[in-house]
Amino acid sequence: MSTGLGTLLLADARLPVGGHTYSAGLEPALLDGLPPHRVPEYIAARTRTVGLVEAAAAVLAHRAVGGVTASAVDGTEGVGVDTGALADAHEALLARSPSAPLRDISGLLGRGLVRLADRLWPEHPAVKALRTLGRAPQRPIALGAVAAVMGADEAEVARVSLYDDAQTVASAALKLAPVDPVDAAGWVLGAEG
Amino acid sequence: MRLGVAGPVGTGKSTLIATLCRELADELSMAVVTNDIYTDEDARLLRAAGVLPVERIHAVETGACPHTAIRDDVTPNLLAVEDLEAEFAPLDLVVVESGGDNLTATFSPALADAQIFCLDVAGGGDVARKGGPGIERADLLVVNKTDLAPHVGVDAEQMVADATSSRGGLPVLALSQSDDVSIKALAGWVQQVLADYRAGHHVPRDPGPMAPHSHADGTTHTHEGDGHGHEHG
Repeated sequence: MSTGLGTLLLADARLPVGGHTYSAGLEPALLDGLPPHRVPEYIAARTRTVGLVEAAAAVLAHRAVGGVTASAVDGTEGVGVDTGALADAHEALLARSPSAPLRDISGLLGRGLVRLADRLWPEHPAVKALRTLGRAPQRPIALGAVAAVMGADEAEVARVSLYDDAQTVASAALKLAPVDPVDAAGWVLGAEG
Repeated sequence: MRLGVAGPVGTGKSTLIATLCRELADELSMAVVTNDIYTDEDARLLRAAGVLPVERIHAVETGACPHTAIRDDVTPNLLAVEDLEAEFAPLDLVVVESGGDNLTATFSPALADAQIFCLDVAGGGDVARKGGPGIERADLLVVNKTDLAPHVGVDAEQMVADATSSRGGLPVLALSQSDDVSIKALAGWVQQVLADYRAGHHVPRDPGPMAPHSHADGTTHTHEGDGHGHEHG
């Protein structure tokens, strides 16, 4: 039975997985001339495109390692871990990420999650499956696998993935442009619509 | 061994690291990780100094105030260190340079096995008396640019004495690029700590946390003592 804590942790910027280094492409977008008042549209565009693809990849990874039944909490860990399906989801995501720098940063963020999982659940079958993807799996794949270990269900995985993308842009905007933090919080809420 | 170098902006951290590389790279296999908020300026300085092969110098852009990446969430730095250790194994010494922060930012023991805190005389003679975790409890406190002391109206000996009295016996080194004896003393200190580390005598020491405060983005972290005027990226 999930306590929901895992989902909260994965959505929390205080989770030490290196997310503070990332702007979800906002920094180059602003440098390229995006006016700050259009950041909400940028969030919306990402949610429909990159966000959707990444959330889908995270859910596929979550399913590949057994989803909620992979949870360490309910004592049935490792049931249904399909390493091949996890690799397929990873390949499919890579095929949809044509930009090498974006693949690289996603791999770095994925390593942060792998590092967390290696320390907390080194023997968990889902974590072992994640390790078969090399040391830098794309972040959504690592997110889905780690969320499964933490007992999150797949709707929560998708929500965390989309929320994190919107919040990454919004919080980066505070560092990069003259923005009232309350407005940035409003953007994230507005992305729900 | 992983050696952290922290201290306020402009106190000579990059130059200190270049000096260490120049003194030690012949006998030790070394690599460097630099931290800047927005740029890879420090990495470029070190690469241009020619003291280490360029591929052994990695830059981490923190995107946030430097203590985020050396204290609160060390993940990006650990990944950079692991990359260097994997690529150039076996490494004897990886030096991690913090971005210039305030008087209170120190390395998490999860990232640095030992750490140097760097002040300079040009920052003001009173800084050593202000204390804080780095000044009081870093493994080594460097008072840098002592050759500038007469030009900035600071009594370097007094500054070192102030620092020494606040450190309960931990070492203080007065450093100047124009004083070869001080440079040898710096290199000798690193060699000694590395020897102690290898012998299992050196235990990573946490200089201690900063006083808690909150940020508008919801993160809470800590600073201690004075010198709070860092840039929140």
